[in-house]
Amino acid sequence: MTARAGGAPPVRPPVIARESLQGKYTGFASRFAAFAVDMGVSLGAFMLALAAISFAARVLTGTDIAWNKGDIWVIIAYAAWAFIYFAHSWAASGRTAGMALFGLRVVQDDGTDVSGRRAVVRTLALPLSFLFLGLGFAGILLGDRRRALHDVIAGTAVIYSWDARAARLRFLSRS
Amino acid sequence: MDPFERRLSIDGRLVTRREALAQAVTERAVELVMSALDLNALLDQVDLNAVLDELDIDRVLDRIDLDRLLSRMDLNDIVKRIDVEALVKQTDLGAVIAASSSGVAGDVLDVVRSQTVGLDEFIARWIGRLRRRPYTGPPGPPDQLRPRAGP
Repeated sequence: MTARAGGAPPVRPPVIARESLQGKYTGFASRFAAFAVDMGVSLGAFMLALAAISFAARVLTGTDIAWNKGDIWVIIAYAAWAFIYFAHSWAASGRTAGMALFGLRVVQDDGTDVSGRRAVVRTLALPLSFLFLGLGFAGILLGDRRRALHDVIAGTAVIYSWDARAARLRFLSRS
Repeated sequence: MDPFERRLSIDGRLVTRREALAQAVTERAVELVMSALDLNALLDQVDLNAVLDELDIDRVLDRIDLDRLLSRMDLNDIVKRIDVEALVKQTDLGAVIAASSSGVAGDVLDVVRSQTVGLDEFIARWIGRLRRRPYTGPPGPPDQLRPRAGP
């Protein structure tokens, strides 16, 4: 095996990164990827919490707790946790962990930060977008403002918040 | 002045015959003087350093209304004309950016985000083709609604 001289060549960002995207409405792939990461994070944290509770119960009482994913209480507990995860993240900073990873942010219609009330409404309306085979997400693909149903209900939009042009300049400065 | 005197039009302005004559004579006189003058020789005799020494630059600058000057300039247009990429490549600015920016994790993040944005654009272009509407790039709100962007 031979080592590559000078390390791996930097990956060239796509042409779109020439333009600063800050403030532009986010496309489908970025939003889907961010949501997938959020689901992973929230589900992972929830399962860790269940494991911690099981461990504590075994240590303290000597009884094993068997969590059944079909159990209604588990589903309710996860729904409550997911609500807190999304609503708190959007109200506090306008972004969840997945959105921060992909450089996205939720803002109100007028471009200002999302209020707590709108964050709660957006979280509650999120499941509605999944109804009818996810028809509520069609607005991201077809709408001029790339808004899903829960965005329309809550009066919000999702924008790119990372500076693609600065990223390209960083890339150029190293190449 | 006789209000009924016949007038001639000079440079879109109605003037009396005498005034027109005076203007023509003056123009001709100035032309003759200027052709007789050797401006280069005249300028050679001027001690510019002495003139500059006499000038109170601070006072001149105080009289300039920079806000008004800047309001008449289209700074966005000027910035657009700058080839930042060439600037980064040709100057030490690149080193400054590289030194001030994040490390490997930041680079990976940039790449992941760029690739996802590329996918966004790919999907949007295809949707545009299916709808027979030309795709002109990611849409954004009007400038007055442009949100504050973060990292």
